[in-house]
Amino acid sequence: MSLFTESFITTLFLGAIAAGMPLLLAGLGEQLSEKAGVLNIGLEGMMLAGAYAGFVVAWSTGSMGLGFVGGAAAGALVASLMVLFCVRLGLNQIVIGIALTLLVEGLTALLHYVQFSRSYPRLDGITTWPIWPLSRIPLIGPILFDQNLVVYFGLALVAGFAWIYRMTHLGSALQAAGDKPAALDVAGVDVFRIRSLAVLTTGALAGLGGAFMSVAAAGVFVPFMTHGNGFIAIVLAMLARGRPLWVLGGAFLFGGCLSLTTALQVAGVNVPTDVIQMLPFATVMLVLLIAGRKASLPQALGESFVRGAR
Amino acid sequence: MKKTIITTVSRTALALALGWSASAALAGEIDSIAILAPEMGTDMGWNQQGVDAAKAAGAATGVEVVVAENLGYGDVRPTMRELAGDGADLLIAHASGYNTAAPEIGAEMGVPVAIVDSPDKLAAGTIADYTASGSDGAYLAGRLAAKMTRTKVVGIVVSGEPPSWNNMSVAFAEGVKAENPAVEVRYAVIGPAAYSDAAGGKRVTEAVIASGADIIFGEGNGSSFGMLQAVETTPAVDGGKAYFIDVIGDKTSIDKGFLLSSVVWDLTPVYTAMINDLKAGTYGSHNYDINLADGSLHLLKTANIPDDVWASVQEIQAQVASGAIVVEKKYDADSVHAMVTTVEAN
Repeated sequence: MSLFTESFITTLFLGAIAAGMPLLLAGLGEQLSEKAGVLNIGLEGMMLAGAYAGFVVAWSTGSMGLGFVGGAAAGALVASLMVLFCVRLGLNQIVIGIALTLLVEGLTALLHYVQFSRSYPRLDGITTWPIWPLSRIPLIGPILFDQNLVVYFGLALVAGFAWIYRMTHLGSALQAAGDKPAALDVAGVDVFRIRSLAVLTTGALAGLGGAFMSVAAAGVFVPFMTHGNGFIAIVLAMLARGRPLWVLGGAFLFGGCLSLTTALQVAGVNVPTDVIQMLPFATVMLVLLIAGRKASLPQALGESFVRGAR
Repeated sequence: MKKTIITTVSRTALALALGWSASAALAGEIDSIAILAPEMGTDMGWNQQGVDAAKAAGAATGVEVVVAENLGYGDVRPTMRELAGDGADLLIAHASGYNTAAPEIGAEMGVPVAIVDSPDKLAAGTIADYTASGSDGAYLAGRLAAKMTRTKVVGIVVSGEPPSWNNMSVAFAEGVKAENPAVEVRYAVIGPAAYSDAAGGKRVTEAVIASGADIIFGEGNGSSFGMLQAVETTPAVDGGKAYFIDVIGDKTSIDKGFLLSSVVWDLTPVYTAMINDLKAGTYGSHNYDINLADGSLHLLKTANIPDDVWASVQEIQAQVASGAIVVEKKYDADSVHAMVTTVEAN
């Protein structure tokens, strides 16, 4: 049977989007936090909380839309702890981030055990919103214009964040909160509020990314299912250095390489699997390192802000 | 000088006495065993089969079983020390990732250990391996898949390439080839050790189905739920149902009509034999395996398999069990890739 049919190629591209979308949402969120000076290592935990809550809400209500909302809310809830401990109390961002991830991993595994470990419920197929007549274009239509609402939202978010960062006072305030928080404070802007809003938004986006994984990409929740995507998103955000479009490129380059590895294996290319599996990581890091070598990270990234401190 | 000789002799005698008493205790007094599993013992796969089998073996032999589950794939040395300190007479390290730590802690705490994927570490009285080879069952699954496929393409999706899964992948492809050389076998790995990547399992399985496969042989712990979800939501290229063949566990209770079969492992005879060997003082004299003959390895019958097909698979099973058909055990990834390519080239 011929391998590279339109159906197979379409599925590969859809797979790339499904794999890239959680990274895009979480990566955009992480970029926002980093802009404001908070290194959000707890991203993995926020994604996992979103994956669990998103699945539970979607499964219990029968509504994928409510599932996505539930996932975003759960991510924001975990992020509120990050706000409390890191932004308000000034504790170490890396330690708290790791602690939150471990807490959520244990908690979601326990909840899954209690609720689902004997039944493993699974959702029906994902609902899409075709954009007529573009969705009828062969090959491209089903890939780009017959997608879930979260995909359209994620793409719009890239443009939205680019506009905020470049064109608005909020963007300038975020930049200042990450580079010169003391100067921003002197200018009369509440640094705590800016950083808190940034971290909460990050949590919501990471939670939405996690919910996308469980509700749309997998249709099931299993413990630890985010599988390091939060950490990959952190790397993407750091390498993208403040540019949302680069997060988009990195996320879908990663997803595309994952699909390419599947295509190579299914085609029977006799290369060691480890080499093929390295492709997504190596490609994304190489591209972003070369493209982003002149950019820089916020000067106060990872540092707590204490009003009046020198 | 005299004092030194007396001290040396005394210490030697004491060491021999302690060694003898430890050996005697090892040989006779087996009160409890412990099993350490990386994920919850409710995954309908590797972890559940291990935990359930340990409990069953304990019940059969009158030995208490302590279960430490959901331990992850990191450093489990502290947990092993705690279990050994609490009096476990055997530590079953139920993950290939534990086969470095377990012998270390076993030696440190003086407790025998059971490990997987390291048969060369066999040591009298202290270490035994139970790298279960499900190849005979996977061969039967391959014969079944080749009989049942409508598109003449079947797929293998795995979340990693540990030896025991390579062993089954090769055997499955051999079974397909033996039944019908014209059937193509397509193979894909989700990711490096992506055991819990359900989304990845679904994504890769969808791609393999889109490539033409209507039967998926999936090996993947938590990610296998994503594979199952993929066959439930993705029709085969001919518009009909795609089917799933699972490994190790039995997902019949959650099946929505897409589970074709499973290569089921029952480790109860393995753990029971370990306990009996400990009691007899022969632990570590040999490794352990599963097989079709004693039922520790079997192919699951579901309603999706027609009776005539099942009857012919049963005939093949009898030939495998009797040795008329020999399925060679191969554990390396290269053998899998070569087998898949060979089958695909036909």
